[in-house]
Amino acid sequence: MTMTNPPDDMLSDLFAQARKLTPMPDDALIARVLADAARPLPVRHPQPSVWAQLRAMIGGWPALGGLATATVAGIWIGIAPPPLVADYAAALLDEPVSLGLSPEEFMIAGEFSDG
Amino acid sequence: MPLARSQMMAVSDPFAHASDEDLLLAHASGDPRAAGALTQRVLPRVLAQALRMLANRAEAEDVAQDAMLRLWRIAPDWRRGEAQVTTWLYRVVANLCTDRLRKRRHVAMDEIAEPLDSAPSVAAQMQTRARLRALSDALAQLPERQAQAVALRHLEGLSNPQIAEIMDISVASVESLTARGKRALSAIMAGRRAELGYDDDEPT
Repeated sequence: MTMTNPPDDMLSDLFAQARKLTPMPDDALIARVLADAARPLPVRHPQPSVWAQLRAMIGGWPALGGLATATVAGIWIGIAPPPLVADYAAALLDEPVSLGLSPEEFMIAGEFSDG
Repeated sequence: MPLARSQMMAVSDPFAHASDEDLLLAHASGDPRAAGALTQRVLPRVLAQALRMLANRAEAEDVAQDAMLRLWRIAPDWRRGEAQVTTWLYRVVANLCTDRLRKRRHVAMDEIAEPLDSAPSVAAQMQTRARLRALSDALAQLPERQAQAVALRHLEGLSNPQIAEIMDISVASVESLTARGKRALSAIMAGRRAELGYDDDEPT
């Protein structure tokens, strides 16, 4: 034989009352849910690398190609100036000019004044 | 917004023979009508589960929306045949509800409305509301797995094997959790018997 004690009666009643709750979603809730469903899924893009961001900022691969060519040409002209450049610089500055790549050398040798 | 419901009713027919999973996968592959049909099918049950555990309509609606949002998000990764949509939703709603109940533990319980001295039906409604809120607050004091097992068993009326699948545990564990949870609930609720009107009012 079983005896039900009062707290269990109360619990059974509470459970039964809770089970009777059958709320219908109202239009506002349905609209919220469908709005979520219609929203495109958040696409997980990996964060672009610093290099990629820099490339995009400069203007992509074509710009980088031009930049690289100019850089190489500039370095080459610095290392091995064709005679025309040296002549032109000498004519312009009216002095012999030499350019170096190290910080100490990276100044125009010789003194000149404006004009 | 009456539009939402009429939209939903209008799109339900083409999917009459589709399973919940079919609808979810159709939604994932871009069928704009599938979400409405699936919502119409599962949202009432999702909302009811949340309301029974939380005894607060606004909170239950937030949980229902959150659970559905998680369903939309998982749709593209859903693998056919691995789980039932309803089982998955029971689990998500149970977890979201115990999350809410945990936060409630430290909140004062004095927000429960006292029955007003007005028409009997209103007073009875107020009492029912206070009783269900008391049950929800008692669930909040249980360990979360016990609260989930008790709610699925006694508020949803599910079988132990169903609960075992939802909670991903053995049937024996479900039996143990529900037994301990119910004992703890009894002990907590015993102290509120008079306050909730169970001394002078025979349960129906």
